[in-house]
Amino acid sequence: MSFRSSSWIAIALSAVACSFFAGCKSAEEKGETGGTTGASTTTGGGTTASGDTIKIGLVASLTGDQKPWGEDSKKGAEMALKEFNDAGGVNGKKVELRVEDSASKAESAKTASVKLVSEGVIGIVGEVASGHTEQIIRAAEEKKLPVVAIGATRTDLTANRDYAFRVCYVDDFQGPVMAKFAFEEQGVRKVAIITDKKQPYSQGLSESFKNYFVKLGGEVVAEVSYQSGETQFQSQLTELKQKAPQGIFLSGYFTEVGPLAAQARAAGIQAKLFGGDGWDSSQILQSGGDAIIGGFLCNHYNNKEDRKEVQDFLTKWKAENGGKEPGTTMAALGYDAMKLTLDALKRASAPSSDALREAIANTENFLGVTGVISLKGHNGNPPKRALVVEVRPESEGFQVYRKAYDYFETK
Amino acid sequence: MNLPLAAVDFLSLPQQLVNGILMGSLYALIALGYTMVYGVLRLINFAHGEVYMLGAWVALYTSYALGFAPGATAGKPAWYVLPTMLLASMAACAIIGVLIERFAYRPMRGQARISSLITAIGVSLLLQYGGQLFLPTSPPPNIRMEVNPFQGNLNFNLTSPKKDLLDKAEGLKQPAEQAATTWKEAEAKEPDKGNLSPTAKSAREAFFKADNEYNDAKRAAENSAVSISVSKGYLIMLSITLGLMALLRYLVMNTKPGRAMRAVSHDFDSASLMGIDVNKVVVYTFVLGSALAGAGAMMKATFVGGTKIDTFFGLLDGVKAFVAAVLGGIGNIPGAVVGGLLMGVAESLVVWAGGSDYKDAVAFVILIAVLLFRPGGIMGSAKVEKV
Repeated sequence: MSFRSSSWIAIALSAVACSFFAGCKSAEEKGETGGTTGASTTTGGGTTASGDTIKIGLVASLTGDQKPWGEDSKKGAEMALKEFNDAGGVNGKKVELRVEDSASKAESAKTASVKLVSEGVIGIVGEVASGHTEQIIRAAEEKKLPVVAIGATRTDLTANRDYAFRVCYVDDFQGPVMAKFAFEEQGVRKVAIITDKKQPYSQGLSESFKNYFVKLGGEVVAEVSYQSGETQFQSQLTELKQKAPQGIFLSGYFTEVGPLAAQARAAGIQAKLFGGDGWDSSQILQSGGDAIIGGFLCNHYNNKEDRKEVQDFLTKWKAENGGKEPGTTMAALGYDAMKLTLDALKRASAPSSDALREAIANTENFLGVTGVISLKGHNGNPPKRALVVEVRPESEGFQVYRKAYDYFETK
Repeated sequence: MNLPLAAVDFLSLPQQLVNGILMGSLYALIALGYTMVYGVLRLINFAHGEVYMLGAWVALYTSYALGFAPGATAGKPAWYVLPTMLLASMAACAIIGVLIERFAYRPMRGQARISSLITAIGVSLLLQYGGQLFLPTSPPPNIRMEVNPFQGNLNFNLTSPKKDLLDKAEGLKQPAEQAATTWKEAEAKEPDKGNLSPTAKSAREAFFKADNEYNDAKRAAENSAVSISVSKGYLIMLSITLGLMALLRYLVMNTKPGRAMRAVSHDFDSASLMGIDVNKVVVYTFVLGSALAGAGAMMKATFVGGTKIDTFFGLLDGVKAFVAAVLGGIGNIPGAVVGGLLMGVAESLVVWAGGSDYKDAVAFVILIAVLLFRPGGIMGSAKVEKV
């Protein structure tokens, strides 16, 4: 009896072992049969580039509401890529950029990243909106590819994730910066918060602003919400007016913040306006009219800064874009995200997704246009500084620098 | 979040009711198009919201043509621009409505009703997504605010502000102004505005304190009055809406084509046997309904500040207007107006009760409730019909 049962176990074990080795072998074979030009292989986990080029993916909103950001981030990323390839690439290999459109929608961001993964990219750079980036990360981490987000600031995006990184600050910092600025520099003590319930970005930002504002000793007198796509805000604004706030924090994107500001002023609300980097498009001047002028937003850098990185970037950008300065901050962030990825690729031990991930995670004191970026030991979230800028008419430069905040602990 | 009812403030109730009526009048205008087409053809014209959307685009391009393109400086005068936009929008929508009827619905007319319904949904999706190929939706444009010269509000005080609060605010004005001057002087002396000296900082703190006290007192005094404030643009919108509704009533009740329309609505086949050209009546119905949608779209895009125009412009308003039509009793013209107003007021009241998260959900709750308890709608017949 005992003999028989142990022989069964032995047979079972050897069967498992056989299948294990067979599995390994077939994976190796797949690796060997990879093509020649720009080909890559996907094994159980991770992708290795073989052939003459290394592919990196970029997801950007090239159509839809967020086109100003998508276009700028794409141009920025392409600039960084061109510099890298002109300087010789890595080990004689050039990097090829595969661009997919996320159409300003989370669903399309998902399809776009799945497509990039199947094309054999070893890493993905993108997106600006947090909701879209979430989908990219999900698609990429399944195949163990690193993602470097451009402007996705929602705090929990990188939580407990080994493959998600970003080059921007997080909302847990952005919210407190605006809370601090409103409280200390503008004397606001009673604030109202307007949140876009459809956007994870807006929800997270409102939350972090609220917590820090209360911590500073301020009072949140009203919280109302809307959904992106809404156009009439009269009822929400009536409720808000009744609570008589001294300042209003609008955590949504510029597409709704403009009309909200215009309708708030029309409803006779005279409070000061504050917001996050979601305001960052000169389109807000069209939809917000005079009402948005004098509002404050948090941003990653400013074209007027005299740091060398900023001025070098602007010179190169202007040379390629007919002398115009970039319209949004996402140009610089897209440039930084791509440059950081390529810099990591140079340091990586092999042109594979695993080695690339390792190198990105070990980035230290990378001198970006938007500031110094260190990812080592920060779980994908670089501790970066943030700027507060004021919205001014186009003739005065749209965003006028007001105050810079170095990274501080917000907990 | 606190309990919703804890936040209820009765002083803002009259204002919210007015907001609701203003929004509701727009829903009513769109709902008329749904209800008239249903009355005549027993077809729910799901593409109606997209006709409305195209009306907004026509209004936008008309404003561009009249000197209000982005960056342009010299626009034509308002008395000329606004009526032109309105008429252009109405005319274009009427044509689009007729084209949709001619090429999408008429070929399906003899078929089962479900085929027409699916066709309607198809046309709606075609316009929403197909429109993105031709229209510059990224980023979505909006009609410039200068188009509407009627800025500012009209205020109606139902009760006057409390006297003691007014006096208190008045008393705080002087110190606030003084603190402001002190701070301005201190700021002018500062070499680095981003990094203030302690004296300047304390001057600023004093200014913030005095200024906040004054503004809080002023706002408290203002809020102690029960008042209604309506923007002038909205009043114009409401009066045009009422005018159009009166015109529609005249056309339907007092003219010959209107009588034909009512006859067809009563019984399609018998009306055609009685020598009424039903095709003409159907075209007439689409012209009226679509023109009303065009007017609504132009007014919303112009008078509601900064409204963005994309191909989904008609989605939410279309759905709400459809619910309004069902609520009033689909096929019933006064019912659509009542339904629209009720929808607008219901939405406002939900926000008033502290549930701004559920503002859009209320439309569907109403739809379900009507279908469950009164399928015929408030003013419609109780006859249950299968679609």
